[in-house]
Amino acid sequence: MRKTGWKLARRVLVSVPILLVVSFLLFAALRLLPVDPAAMSLPPTATLAEIAEKRHAMGLDRSIPAQYGIWLDEALHGRFGTSISLRRDAGALVANALPATIELAVCAMIIASALGLGGGVLLFYLRGTWVEVVGDLGTILLLSVPDFMWALLLLLVFGVLVPVLPFMGRIDPGLSVPRGSGFLLFDALSAGDFAVLRSALRHLALPALALGMAFAPAIMRVLRSSLIDVYHEDYIRQTRLRGVGEVRILLGHALKNAILPTLTLMGVQFGFLFGGTLLIEVIYGTPGIGNLMVDAVRNADLPVIQAVGLSYCVMVLAISMAIDAMVLMLDPRARAI
Amino acid sequence: MTISRRSLMATAGLATLAPLVRPALADTPDAVTIAWPSDVPSWDPNQRFVPDSQSIFKAVFDQPLGQDPKLKLIGNVVDKWRLADDAMSMSIEMRDDVLFHDGVKMTTADFRYTFLERVKLMPTLDIANSWRKIQDIEIESPTKATIRFSSPAPTAPQWMSFLGSYVVPKHVLEAVGAPAFAQKPVGSGPYKMVEWEQNSRIVLERNDAYWGAKPAIRRVTIQIVKDSSARVAAIQSGQVDITFGLPIRDAVRLQADAAYTATLLPVTRIILLQIRNDLNFADANVRLAAHHAIDKAALSKAFFNGAAVPLSVPASPGTPGSVPDYNFAYDPALAKSLLEKSGYSVDKPIKIGLATTNGQFPGDFDLARAIAQMWKKVGIEADVQVIEYAKYFELNRGSKLPEATLYTWDNATGDPEIFTGYLLNPKMPFSAWKGMEIGQKDMDLFNVANYDARVAGYRALNKEAVESGAAMPLLQSVITIAHKKALTYTAYDNGWVLPQTMRWG
Repeated sequence: MRKTGWKLARRVLVSVPILLVVSFLLFAALRLLPVDPAAMSLPPTATLAEIAEKRHAMGLDRSIPAQYGIWLDEALHGRFGTSISLRRDAGALVANALPATIELAVCAMIIASALGLGGGVLLFYLRGTWVEVVGDLGTILLLSVPDFMWALLLLLVFGVLVPVLPFMGRIDPGLSVPRGSGFLLFDALSAGDFAVLRSALRHLALPALALGMAFAPAIMRVLRSSLIDVYHEDYIRQTRLRGVGEVRILLGHALKNAILPTLTLMGVQFGFLFGGTLLIEVIYGTPGIGNLMVDAVRNADLPVIQAVGLSYCVMVLAISMAIDAMVLMLDPRARAI
Repeated sequence: MTISRRSLMATAGLATLAPLVRPALADTPDAVTIAWPSDVPSWDPNQRFVPDSQSIFKAVFDQPLGQDPKLKLIGNVVDKWRLADDAMSMSIEMRDDVLFHDGVKMTTADFRYTFLERVKLMPTLDIANSWRKIQDIEIESPTKATIRFSSPAPTAPQWMSFLGSYVVPKHVLEAVGAPAFAQKPVGSGPYKMVEWEQNSRIVLERNDAYWGAKPAIRRVTIQIVKDSSARVAAIQSGQVDITFGLPIRDAVRLQADAAYTATLLPVTRIILLQIRNDLNFADANVRLAAHHAIDKAALSKAFFNGAAVPLSVPASPGTPGSVPDYNFAYDPALAKSLLEKSGYSVDKPIKIGLATTNGQFPGDFDLARAIAQMWKKVGIEADVQVIEYAKYFELNRGSKLPEATLYTWDNATGDPEIFTGYLLNPKMPFSAWKGMEIGQKDMDLFNVANYDARVAGYRALNKEAVESGAAMPLLQSVITIAHKKALTYTAYDNGWVLPQTMRWG
């Protein structure tokens, strides 16, 4: 247990320099863009003298490392600069938008996991039959459709052709968003407002499915491959010789070992899935950081781009650590190394 | 009948899912759901000039003056006003029955605070630029005041109904501060803002204590739907009652559907080429050739289903600065001969940079490419460069724009100063043209106090600017609006879509 704790602590420590490097690269890349944040933060009628004064006040007349130092110092105090286009604290904007993105990503991952793990096991179980061939073709087809295409397709089918699910925003027009953490499902549940909860689930269904559909096939294929590998292990043959049924071998013995590489993959996928929220949020009007990022890029709003970029990095690192922790818990071999 | 465990589980599962697949319906008799293409930047209406947010702000706040659907200036919370003959002062008389949403009466103290005290306190507010000329606002009574300007302000009444000029409550802003106000505003308009989830939705409730006509709709939900395909889907699925900013082809398609009313509405927004008077456009022959080579009617047909009116001067038709009997001809033969005079031809083309945004307004990039093709036929080789709209001012300030930039200009007032005056004033950040032969005439008109003389001056300048190749207006822009047949609203010539004018049946 102590060993596991030490491994996780080490992982946290390694994350710090990663975050610093990523934040510096992001900062330097944004500063190298041919955009003047000082001029853009002032009204168009600002004079050259006013812009020069603003540039000095923002520290933009100093070297990039010096500017980064100022930004880092401010960031460590929880200040991420003022949005150029919205004239509000960039950190607060990200903090307000983050819960919607996390909620969407988690729901999408649940869908991707359910489809991916279920499909992977099923494909393996039915190996050698025509279902496997059809399944194989199906996963290739699913893999080749990007998430935003799923978003438009699902919107068209379940929103317009067979209008059974809503696809705008987070709840129905007649309902009010309960105040709280910003995690709508949690807030509705804790307020005991089941009308909002039901509405929020209905609104989440299509965007989460669109994101999940794009990631499920990869999980499916990796799990099936892992199961094929595991079935070549001696212990499977021995279990079978003991007279254990095929379903029990698959679900009770093989799956435990085969799921480890799948878990690692899911960790990586979860990071990509956050990236996928960008267009999905714009299409479905989800007020998350993807939506915020698209606006920020359109308006060359550098403080917001920096804050959103950094929050993506923090989330990917956090997920990666959570997956590491899960692998350590599930796999005694990993703990022994 | 026996029920197996499996069938029981399946039934339970379906019962759980059933509520999730209930069709979503938007309309109730006193509520409207609108799919809006963009959110407000904040709820401080004085802070940022965003044309698309004005209709939302006008639902929650009051401007001193208003405009009727044909853009004629009308009274609002200021019901009497008089601009002095020298345009150096303006007396106003406010209504005495205007209440802010917290029940406090609006007075000239709020007016003075908004347009003078606040502007001095927060010079980064966008309205600080539009009201720089205000030297003082003398309060004579809670309803009477006189505005004193440092230089003539002939368009002060127009600006009282334009971007960002909303009266805000002094007592609230002083009590809670601007950042808190920008999150939870107190206006005086026909609706109160009761919920705002940034980038997602705005909920407005009718202000039953409103001094003016009570809106027919009690609750307005504005869903922020930035993707135009999603807005089309939203109106088709019945999830919203009205939307706008649809792709032209979809609006045309919806016109054929009996369930909706879809309109392509020409508004006071123009599409033009902002041009420089130097680089390869230093030669007037080249500029005029470039203008004569553009088939504006073809552009309108190709990109706006023919609804965008070709323009000969930089003013939308019907506005005071337009010149109805004047036509700048599409004449590729003349364009070729003008280029030949300057030593260029199809075989020896002149190279021109053409900057354009991509996605800032419908069809912008394709429009630029089509213009480049038209130019190619007469001997102008255009290098189409994509720029971000947000960078236009920075590039212009640094003289880094190419010879021509495809640009869109919105002027809800329709006043010629806010068209030609701003677009050709070399001292202003909007104008790429820095030539003083036109520029000086333009700047002089800013000081003409007499309305008729001012309008006549702009009409003459418009013709001169086009004929000297200083201005290349292209098309009057159109907005697309689609709504359910049973919903009606008042269309404004400047494209405002005001919730307070909507009603069912």
